[in-house]
Amino acid sequence: MKPLPVKKSPCLHRFWIMLVLSAGVLLVGCESGSRGKAGHAGLVYWPAANAQEIELAGLAAAEWNAAHPDVPVTVQPIPESQSTEEVLLAAVVGKTTPDVCSNIWPGVVGQFVRAGALVALDSFADFDSVAAARLPEGQREVFQYDDGRLYQMPWKSNPIMMEYNVRRLQEAGFTHPPATYSEFIRAGQALTRDLTGDGQPDQWMLYVDINVKWWLRYFDFYTFYLAASGGQTLIKNRQVTFDNRAAVEVFRFFRRCFELGIFPRASFQGDTFLAGQVATHITGPWNIAHVDKFKPAGFEFDYAPVPLPDSAAGPVVTYGDPKNIAIFATCQNPRAAWEFVKFLISRRQDLALLRIASQLPIRRDLLSDSLYMPYFKEYPKMVRFAEQAPRTRGVDSAPELREVFDAISQEFEACCVLGRRTPEEAVQRAAERARQVLR
Amino acid sequence: MKVERKIAGNRSSRTGFLLSLPYWAWFAFFMAWPLLFSLVLVFHEWDIYTPMRWVGLGNFVRLFQDDLFWQAILNTLYFLVIHIPLQIGLALLFAVLLNEKIRARGFFRAAYFMPVVVSGIVISLLWQQLFSYENGILNLLLARAGLARIPWLTSPEWAMPSVALMATWKNVGLYIILFLAGLQNIPAWLYEAAGIDGATAWQKFRHITLPMLNPAVIMVLILSTIGGFSLFIEPYVLTGGGPMNRTLSAMLYIYKQAFYFNRMGYAATLGFFFAFIILAVVLVQRKVVEQEALE
Repeated sequence: MKPLPVKKSPCLHRFWIMLVLSAGVLLVGCESGSRGKAGHAGLVYWPAANAQEIELAGLAAAEWNAAHPDVPVTVQPIPESQSTEEVLLAAVVGKTTPDVCSNIWPGVVGQFVRAGALVALDSFADFDSVAAARLPEGQREVFQYDDGRLYQMPWKSNPIMMEYNVRRLQEAGFTHPPATYSEFIRAGQALTRDLTGDGQPDQWMLYVDINVKWWLRYFDFYTFYLAASGGQTLIKNRQVTFDNRAAVEVFRFFRRCFELGIFPRASFQGDTFLAGQVATHITGPWNIAHVDKFKPAGFEFDYAPVPLPDSAAGPVVTYGDPKNIAIFATCQNPRAAWEFVKFLISRRQDLALLRIASQLPIRRDLLSDSLYMPYFKEYPKMVRFAEQAPRTRGVDSAPELREVFDAISQEFEACCVLGRRTPEEAVQRAAERARQVLR
Repeated sequence: MKVERKIAGNRSSRTGFLLSLPYWAWFAFFMAWPLLFSLVLVFHEWDIYTPMRWVGLGNFVRLFQDDLFWQAILNTLYFLVIHIPLQIGLALLFAVLLNEKIRARGFFRAAYFMPVVVSGIVISLLWQQLFSYENGILNLLLARAGLARIPWLTSPEWAMPSVALMATWKNVGLYIILFLAGLQNIPAWLYEAAGIDGATAWQKFRHITLPMLNPAVIMVLILSTIGGFSLFIEPYVLTGGGPMNRTLSAMLYIYKQAFYFNRMGYAATLGFFFAFIILAVVLVQRKVVEQEALE
């Protein structure tokens, strides 16, 4: 008997075709991926993804490439995401980190070090001399990791200060910016007004973002806390250090301002400072160019340190919002990467950083070096920030820092914005939560 | 002949097996593997980029000391207390109305179901506008009626009821359909017999409709409880868990632990613990409702 003819199913044919095609696509993808990494002779450099820093990086790379054709640098702005840290984290996990990155937030360095993702820069023979020539006194220690080594090159800082509308303050009877909490509140009470007659104020002293996103507290609570505490950060040796009088005073100040209505309990879109809705703004030097560009005719503005509690004295310390440069452990040519880092922090590149990005290099001789003098003469408002720069702090490098800030932000909302807790209770609860997190 | 059939049969089962491979691959990669991996994570501390560290029952110790997690559980239960009765009541009401012979019945059935198929994010964004304190439609209507504005999302007292209101609006369509299916299975002669015996409309509803709908009620209760426990998108978009953590649901807290703070081991522990709470609540609920039905 003849065997029955077995007809091959067309479905099965299609299945095999799809399987082979998928495998092919995967193989090609993997191959091109691995070729991209292994065959790279030069360096990949990730700058921050804003227009000024992309321009700055492009010019630096062009100059470097002209002088070092054997180690070409490719600039790739940090891929788009909610935050640089998120992208770098994904890159560390996927081992797709660049060779050099110049947007390293010190708060995340500890995690990268524990993941073995960074090269210790002090392993290069000339590191000490480079650091000694550049860094202001005490800055090296600020950025040291727990093991005493340095995995990041301090590059730039953006001291956070109080931007103020000169005329608006003059109208309130202030010829100088308010330096203490009571002066600030007095100015706020004089300024807060209902301009349209609808029974609701339309002009306030300061706009504080009432969202509870943890990082927003850098620009209100943390900046004011550093000033009030004389530069004390939140954690020391994994112990909470912010359950103190300074933190309570800061909470009380913000609560009072919200209660008095000199800070609006609302969310606004757009620039409230330029629109004249608020008389002050807590910001960094990057905002000078922005205000200069978009300010209405006759708009006068200047910068001053954030106010202090009435009982505090001495020079104001503020949040420095530092961003540093690091070499990742995936780099095939760390020696060349270090040379490139030295090039990025050279005097001339620092001048480009000032001119193109309006950001301050962390450099000991910034105000005395003749190379930068014409710049500061041309942009006198930057002098305020340069003078403030030596008295700045970054953040603690604890991996749980976000959670600590989240705890503070929750209590900030409960106490200052909603007025549901006393400052003492709020600080105590935030500290307790932070201890729980650090345990 | 037998051998030939066997060969053909083998080939056919091989084809079947190959065709079911995509499902098995999906199941292995997206169900079995994550579940097993989560179980491993329960006993570890892992922040994704550094190696896992064995902590034994450390994550459970943390869980029992974590006030915020217990607050999130209470918030979720509070949400359920508002959401489930509201949802069942409204679904039953609309199902009974839509079971009557009314004009444009098909249109209304489709209209009530529409929010179920629209993305939760889109609906949350729309309701965020409706709930806006300054210029939301709800407050504009209240103001026009001479009433005070309500801080729907900015007051710790109002925020969770507002979230529950929105979630009910979104999901009620699904439960209307389930109740409608149940209503259509009730034999008409029961109502006729009751009518002959002189029963009022309420007596018919109380003594025929409700008991006959019991299986549907159990299903709706269980589905809405599980759905309620999974509360995530609404507070994530509307309030971010605030104000004062009053809308922080357990799922949102687990998400924050995993993806804001990179505590993968702890988040997995919370996830398993929470799943057991849901299981226990659903089992108790089923037992109670079935018991009542028997009585």
